Amino acid sequence: MEASDKQGFVDGVFHQVAARYDLMNDLMSGGLHRAWKDALVNTIAPPKAPVRPWRALDIAGGTGDIAFRVAEASGAPAEITILDINASMLDVARARAKERGLSDRIRIVEANAEKLPFESGTFDAATSAFGLRNVPDLAAALREAHRVLRPGSRLAVLEFSHVDVAGLDRLYDLYSFNVIPELGRAVVGEAEPYRYLVESIRRFPNQERFAAMLRTAGFERVTYRNLSGGIVAIHSGWKL
Amino acid sequence: MSEQKPAPVEINPKLLELLVCPLTKTTLEYDRERQELISRAAKLAYPIRDGIPIMLPDEARAIE
Repeated sequence: MEASDKQGFVDGVFHQVAARYDLMNDLMSGGLHRAWKDALVNTIAPPKAPVRPWRALDIAGGTGDIAFRVAEASGAPAEITILDINASMLDVARARAKERGLSDRIRIVEANAEKLPFESGTFDAATSAFGLRNVPDLAAALREAHRVLRPGSRLAVLEFSHVDVAGLDRLYDLYSFNVIPELGRAVVGEAEPYRYLVESIRRFPNQERFAAMLRTAGFERVTYRNLSGGIVAIHSGWKL
Repeated sequence: MSEQKPAPVEINPKLLELLVCPLTKTTLEYDRERQELISRAAKLAYPIRDGIPIMLPDEARAIE
């Protein structure tokens, strides 16, 4: 798919799935995504009692799942900005922020991860979970993430990766290509968005290649660790 | 009978401070009346919908 076509297609996918996005994540991962997300939040170590304003950015933050976890793990002056290109996903985020009483610490912006509407050096931490895979120009998104971080701060990315356990890879393939689209049909009423999901996971760069992309974008001390046998990985890079 | 438009959801002032034009990275002017963020440098007015700024050039209005 051409990059220019991809954005329109991805927009359609997420308009379709927005309302049941978090439920589907629970069903597809057997609830594992919660542990993965907690591990991501721990990576950026949100301050419990920040002495000055502390700002985090969640890139392609969708329904706000990561932003709320960061908000709950941190103390009052911490503010989290959710950025996503999809209005349907952000509508869910706004409603949930209100329900949880977090509206005053959550900011919501509709924008493209490839062209961030923030000044350089604005944020004290940045995260992205299961979002960068959907951005057509990944290299541009990483450069922008690097630009908006303050020197001495860190980006942490949780993304599907490449399974490194013999035997698990075949099982995972079977599950991905057969079970997930049918689950999507049952829960969301559509199998197509979840076929896209599975294919986009296969196309995303593996651990080493993604680490190399982070370095190319300017990040230093780049590391990653596999979770659940490499079904997902958390990459981390510092802007120094 | 006068028709009253519902008051727009106000954009968070702290968020306004953070935002710049995604194309030119220059500061924006807030048009409270029209609920738009104006980039003079890019000659674009970005809409604010229910308090959420839409910082997408494709969704912005071209201005003089």
